Amino acid sequence: MKVGLLRLGLLAVLLAVWEVAGRAANPLLAVPPSAVLPALRDLLLLRSYPDLPASLLLTLREIGTAYALAVAAGLGCGFVLGMYRLVGRAWGPMIAALYAVPAVVWYPSLMLFFGLDAASKIAFGFLLGFFPITLAVLAGVRQVNPQLVVVARAYGAGAVTVFRRVMLPSMLFTLVGGLRTGLALCVIGVVVGEILGSKAGMGALINHAYGLLRTGDYVALVLVTLALVVGSDVLASLLERHARRWTE
Amino acid sequence: MSARPGALIAIEGVTKRYLTGSGPVEALHDVSLSVGEGEFCTLIGPSGCGKSTLLGMLGGLVAPDHGRLVVDGRPVTGPDPRRVATVFQEAGLFPWRTALQNVEFGLELQGVPVERRRRTASELLGPLGLRGFAAKYPRELSGGMKQRVAIGRALALDAKILLMDEPFGALDEQTRALMGEWLLDIWRRTRKTVIFVTHSLHEALFLSTRVAVMTARPGRIKSVLELSMEYPRSMESPEMVALRAKLWSEIREESLRAMQP
Amino acid sequence: MDGVKPGLASVRVAQLATVVVGLAAWELAARRLWVDPLFVPAPSAVAGAFLGIGGPALAGLADTLGKTAVAYVLSVALGASAGVAVGSVRLLRDVLSPYVIALYGIPKILVLPWIVLLLGYGTTPAIFYGTLHGVFPIMVLVMGAVRDVDRTLVTVARSLGATTWQLYWKVLLPAIVPSVLAGMRLGIVFCLLGVLVVEMFAGVRGMGHVMGSLANGFQAPELFAATGLVSAASIAIVLALDHLNDKLSHWRG
Repeated sequence: MKVGLLRLGLLAVLLAVWEVAGRAANPLLAVPPSAVLPALRDLLLLRSYPDLPASLLLTLREIGTAYALAVAAGLGCGFVLGMYRLVGRAWGPMIAALYAVPAVVWYPSLMLFFGLDAASKIAFGFLLGFFPITLAVLAGVRQVNPQLVVVARAYGAGAVTVFRRVMLPSMLFTLVGGLRTGLALCVIGVVVGEILGSKAGMGALINHAYGLLRTGDYVALVLVTLALVVGSDVLASLLERHARRWTE
Repeated sequence: MSARPGALIAIEGVTKRYLTGSGPVEALHDVSLSVGEGEFCTLIGPSGCGKSTLLGMLGGLVAPDHGRLVVDGRPVTGPDPRRVATVFQEAGLFPWRTALQNVEFGLELQGVPVERRRRTASELLGPLGLRGFAAKYPRELSGGMKQRVAIGRALALDAKILLMDEPFGALDEQTRALMGEWLLDIWRRTRKTVIFVTHSLHEALFLSTRVAVMTARPGRIKSVLELSMEYPRSMESPEMVALRAKLWSEIREESLRAMQP
Repeated sequence: MDGVKPGLASVRVAQLATVVVGLAAWELAARRLWVDPLFVPAPSAVAGAFLGIGGPALAGLADTLGKTAVAYVLSVALGASAGVAVGSVRLLRDVLSPYVIALYGIPKILVLPWIVLLLGYGTTPAIFYGTLHGVFPIMVLVMGAVRDVDRTLVTVARSLGATTWQLYWKVLLPAIVPSVLAGMRLGIVFCLLGVLVVEMFAGVRGMGHVMGSLANGFQAPELFAATGLVSAASIAIVLALDHLNDKLSHWRG
């Protein structure tokens, strides 16, 4: 109770400081929350950026495509790596080595390959989201009780059935966690790609506002994008909780 | 049971209450006990009777709600490592320090210079049976060895009083028995005053000069047995068998009471 | 699942085979023009390009690593001390945890345009943003470690008469070293990432800028070479940190 109040209190204090500092500052550099609200209203009423819905939709489509690809590839690769131990042990450390490299180094190559269109953002989002999903599937497969697989095979189950009926339920917990992380990373990848350079999408709008020093609009656009990011994670966590309840 | 004047340790009318989720619970009620210098006093009783709390109070880690504790003429207000050393059920060794460094930890806290504390700690290793293990880390030691290091850490303080809260509780039976013999030897050599908490009747009878039986919660001192037999004790003598039966009947009564909801 | 655990030798053979076969297939594909060499140059071309970009690339790398080093030192100092300060005071931890975790998870690139607006182009925003990226994982790990310190150790130290200062210095800090090291290992990648992002977005120097220019100029072999260079540097640094980690953790077994 007390903790909750203190948290809200802290937030209120931060907003107050922002308001005071924002009013005192150069409006091209910083805007107070009171200026953000009208900018947000203009944004949502499509006055400042009439192509907001199109941009939002494009960004969502990029995220969706990247994620679908990451899930498909992640499930496939993770399964293969988990099932065939030699492959898993050989490639595992190499994938771990890739984790030691900041993902953004691949982005210029993707830009060269795909240009500034949606494709490069999708590719980058895919790249970021693919690894946690693969690793989660790998971990999940490894923790499946081999006895269950043996029993299923003894009853004549083929590979697909073994996967669906035996492995999937056992690994659901780990898998769902990886899927959630994967989504978060896909979202980040697409957003980063868009801001680093794009012709359309939320990132392009943000860059446009920033370039014209329309700071109020910039903050409003950031808030909308933030809502998208947080919203997708909230959705994913709800699904995760739902899936967990199902496995218990 | 009132406190004797002139005793090294005096527990006077101590009460302790805890607030739990389901309301206040009285752990100790009006406990009084005195222990003279050089004694080996065991506290025994059913689970939850507050013996660990009492020990915590003597060690200055817990404050009573009523009453007071007096150690060596001074009331207890906090940990006093120069007078009172505590050994817990979990060895609590610092995993990043070697056995030797663990033993000298208390001295290090007191600012004792390196050579002196190293010497003190090294000299203890022999009696501890840990010669050759000075540079080993806790993960390389067995349970019994870890407890010996913990006891060594307490002994290094050279405090008059040693508090031991079920120090052998986590060990297997054989190790436990051997540790008991070893502890007896150490005690007789160092002439410390020991307050020992245990569940084990065997340990109580084998080691102590007095046994204080505590009641079920809220804990009080139910009875005190004086044991004046010679060491090492034969657990099969008729005297010991009779004492054991007496002790058991007292404890059993309280254990049954403790088991009731 | 095949139940036999593959030995180390066969693992190494498989890894080597993967690399060799992969490179060979790539070279073949490039030579046979199965892929457009403009986009996917042959490994031999990339190797040659290493020499081509030599000086400027190394200068760029040095510049990037220099900024990263500064950002890293700041991240570790701020992250570890904030982590200890917040983690050891119950109230602070309870109130601030959700904020810290939220900030950790939010894509900080959203505020990058504003940071560049305030701090301009070049070195300062890169260091600032790199620190911003690196500080959170370290702080979160340290906070968790402080929270999870074995209570018995604290009780033992208190019974031995430790003062509050001694509790921090001789019990808490040594206990959290493994987590600080883990955070440091994670942090370096985050810091480098932050610096590279700023260099790509608004840089005049550094590998991020170099790679961005090469991409715009469609200089594929040079770009691949530069990417390889940064990746190798990053892996080398992380391996060095892992080695350090192992050496400092001998008591953990």
